[in-house]
Amino acid sequence: MTEDAVVVYQVSKRFRRYHADAPGTIHEALMRGLKKLMVAEQFWALRHVSFCIQRGRTVGVVGRNGAGKSTLLRLIAGVGRPDEGRIEVNGQVRALLNLGAGFHPELTGRENLVIHGVIGGLTRRQVADRSDAIIEFAELEDFIDSPLRTYSSGMQMRLAFSIAIHSSPELLLIDEVLAVGDVAFQRKCLDRIAHLKAKGCTIILVTHDVNTVEQLCEQAVWLRAGRVEAYGPSETVVSRYLSAAENESWQHSLVNA
Amino acid sequence: MEEYAVAIREKCTYFRDVLRVLIARDFKLRYKRSVFGIGWSLLVPLAQFAVLYLVFNVMVPLNIPHFTTYLFSGLLPWTWLQGALLAAALAIVDNRDLVKQAGFPVALLPTTTVLSHLIHFLLAFPILVIFLVSDGYRIGLPLVALPLVIAVQFVLVLSLAYIVATLQVRFRDTQYLLGIVLFLVFYLTPVFWDDTAIPEPFKSVMRLNPVSVLLDGYRAILVRGVWPNSLPLLAVAGGSMMVLALGFIVFSMASQRFVEEL
Repeated sequence: MTEDAVVVYQVSKRFRRYHADAPGTIHEALMRGLKKLMVAEQFWALRHVSFCIQRGRTVGVVGRNGAGKSTLLRLIAGVGRPDEGRIEVNGQVRALLNLGAGFHPELTGRENLVIHGVIGGLTRRQVADRSDAIIEFAELEDFIDSPLRTYSSGMQMRLAFSIAIHSSPELLLIDEVLAVGDVAFQRKCLDRIAHLKAKGCTIILVTHDVNTVEQLCEQAVWLRAGRVEAYGPSETVVSRYLSAAENESWQHSLVNA
Repeated sequence: MEEYAVAIREKCTYFRDVLRVLIARDFKLRYKRSVFGIGWSLLVPLAQFAVLYLVFNVMVPLNIPHFTTYLFSGLLPWTWLQGALLAAALAIVDNRDLVKQAGFPVALLPTTTVLSHLIHFLLAFPILVIFLVSDGYRIGLPLVALPLVIAVQFVLVLSLAYIVATLQVRFRDTQYLLGIVLFLVFYLTPVFWDDTAIPEPFKSVMRLNPVSVLLDGYRAILVRGVWPNSLPLLAVAGGSMMVLALGFIVFSMASQRFVEEL
């Protein structure tokens, strides 16, 4: 099958900045009339973004803060919709978008695991069968029955990652979360990602760690101010990104001098 | 064709499983670190019952026949409606983490709250049975209509749940407004009083209230032991279904922007 796993076609995403004094309550809306519901200003977080990702590819997304990387990943995950263009995704999506996403602090690790396994598309039976493996991979055997609020951010990430990789993803989206884990766990995650890759899983990885992109990804997307600056083999894209970054910081230091 | 059938079946299994874990989550969260746990499902309607009974049967008697069963068979459905709607208002805004989860079926959240309050209703039902028995209730054929009345109430509450859940995302004071509306409706609905003595035309107007229709249905079956008046119940069912369809469409359209508004 040479079918594309992800097609992003002319996607634009606009964020609205509401009036600082936009009505947040019915009372205010009634008092002022509905005029103030109007949008004050807007900016494009993504503009005319297009690319295709073949099934089984691993693609890194690089770019500066605010370039639209996370927005892009969210849209591919189906969290929110593009204002223009369209996104097609073929296959089961699992996403690690932000840390501890959706985990409830008062529930135990195990309770959260069941909820998230099922929301992620496993049946309750499958969750029961795989929960031992999930807990073992996350190295949380001793803490799994404690409430999640007692977890460190690294522990939350381990649990989220473990659930995601154990729910047989066809498309895995990872946004920066690996940075929270310690070196040993990061290595374990990367091994696991390589393993999923070998099994034909498509992976999109947002990270500031360009070494990971070069090692793990065949291709990379460089986003700059919401537009695709470059898309191609990861070495090429990363080196262009790095030299541009150096350039920018050099210019910045000139301006400040 | 076969493929579609499999896909639909998988989708149904998925929705069922998600609903089950969400309802379980609701119950766990409600009773975490609480001493009485599930007992709270019973304590709230019982406390309300005790106060209303004391006031309207002892202090200022309304002289309604079978007042204990009359009152409790009104209070229990009311508690379901009120609890479910107040919770539904927060169903989206209090679960922003779930809403922002990839592929999470947001449309299940209001249904979850209505279903978990239905479970509270059913958990408290044995108390009503105790009242009924002590009041000399005899099981009759009209009892088979009870699940239908419950079903009509389910559709009514669900239809309103989608509306308040949607409104709350944009207007955060919806929950307070809803509290006031429910307070007014409680007194305008014959929960603890009886509308037989009300003069026309007020009586006819009062009976347009869908909650009165439901309570009358419950009481026909449970207090008077007769078949409920089917025409008003059918009207409520039909109206609720229309509101539900409309509310669901509005909810689905608004839900595309939930992620940004939370």
